[in-house]
Amino acid sequence: MKRIISLLLLLVLLTLTGVNAQNNSARTNGTARSNAPVTLTLPNKEGGVRFLVMGDTGTGTDKQQQLAQLMLRYRQIFPFEFALMLGDNMYGGEKAVDYKQKFEDVYRPLIDQKVKFYAALGNHDDSNQRFYAFFNMDGQEYYRFTKGNVSFYSLNSNYMDKKQLDWFTGKLATDTSTWKIAFFHHPPYSSGGAHGSDAKLREIVEPIFIKHGVNVVFAGHEHFYERIKPQNGIYYFISGSGGKLRKGDVNKASALMAKAYDDDMSFMLIEIDDKEMHFQVVSRTGETVDSGVVVNQRKSSG
Amino acid sequence: MKSKQVLAIAGIIVVCIAASGRVLSQTPSPPPLSPADKQVADAFEKRAKDYVRVREALEAKMPPLSKEAKAEEIQAHKQQFQERVRAARAGSKPGDIFTPQASTLIRAIIKDEFKGRDRVELRNAVLKESENKAVPLRVNYPYPESQELLEMPPTLLLRLPPLPKQLRYRFVRNNLLLVDRENGLIVDYMTNALP
Repeated sequence: MKRIISLLLLLVLLTLTGVNAQNNSARTNGTARSNAPVTLTLPNKEGGVRFLVMGDTGTGTDKQQQLAQLMLRYRQIFPFEFALMLGDNMYGGEKAVDYKQKFEDVYRPLIDQKVKFYAALGNHDDSNQRFYAFFNMDGQEYYRFTKGNVSFYSLNSNYMDKKQLDWFTGKLATDTSTWKIAFFHHPPYSSGGAHGSDAKLREIVEPIFIKHGVNVVFAGHEHFYERIKPQNGIYYFISGSGGKLRKGDVNKASALMAKAYDDDMSFMLIEIDDKEMHFQVVSRTGETVDSGVVVNQRKSSG
Repeated sequence: MKSKQVLAIAGIIVVCIAASGRVLSQTPSPPPLSPADKQVADAFEKRAKDYVRVREALEAKMPPLSKEAKAEEIQAHKQQFQERVRAARAGSKPGDIFTPQASTLIRAIIKDEFKGRDRVELRNAVLKESENKAVPLRVNYPYPESQELLEMPPTLLLRLPPLPKQLRYRFVRNNLLLVDRENGLIVDYMTNALP
């Protein structure tokens, strides 16, 4: 009887969190293995919405290049169609040569394979990036696009003024998509020591997320990976080590953290298939450092 | 408990949920300004719009930047735009938009918004953690691209006088700047902005 009760409790817990993450523990040796086999934990079904998530990329360093090469290798087995960029797309300068060295040269093989990049702006980004063809921002600092049953909202968390909030709530009010995903730079929740949770931003945007059924939020700014325990039914991820790393910055005792990785740079692979969002997080060293599935349990509120 | 009481309680709960839903669905409204402060804020907004009219007229004479521009085109457009606005506003000086009255009002709003722990966190973020300390404080000069554009707290943006979309408030050290988001010029600044 006790065993049945324990099993039931476990089932309830899993249902409540909605995440069945494998929490792979990773061992890293700090070097990228260019020939290491790539392994996929995602279903990789035809018809799913498949994409990549990366943040804080704009350095143009060798390590960013290595991570990009790994993305390319993963694309051979997991043909993601597009990539979300979570801001800080360009560090230290915004001349034409910077766009080339910190973006075009790094991701040229993906660009050549027609992977589309959708950018958000960070605190190191000039507003004029919104005109850059490869960032697909349509001349806007905040914008929406859809793929299948998923709505994506790219927000400018660096300047969340009334105009943007009105636009966001207006768009959400008529959005009947199964999945509503917001991506922007500053994380509403974070276990980072250098920055931490952006409470002022959260105070403003989270009530909107809750009211209008935003399911998932991707943010950067913190130079590590973190999956936050679901907050008010929303799944928050941080993926801010696409070009920079703040090693050891995660507070391992944080009550917010479901899983974190700050040993090396990383990116996320995502696949959304109807009511499930599968995720896999890959480090520069080629190891899967987190993976799992988020089950959509919300009804569209419109 | 009688059925009427149960219904009444259920009704109250439904009304409360509906009311909270309405509150959450709207952008929070800032506390209203006094008539005198409103007058100061309106005048500030008018000066900001006057600047925008000048820069819009100058930009209209330039080839428009495509929404699918190349990096070289973005760089060239920004540079030309800067040069034209700098020439047109050669006589501009600190306080043209942030007049003493406007600065006093804005300081009071910031002080009221950031109290206690919020105040400490704001000062830490702006004065210690920011990577924009090397921004030169000069009107009609560019905000260096290599310097961080510090996030503006959204709760504060909802309270400050609204700006045309072409202009942005930015903290740099103990100062509040007005920066043009396209040409990157520092349009004006006020000192002692932090509480």
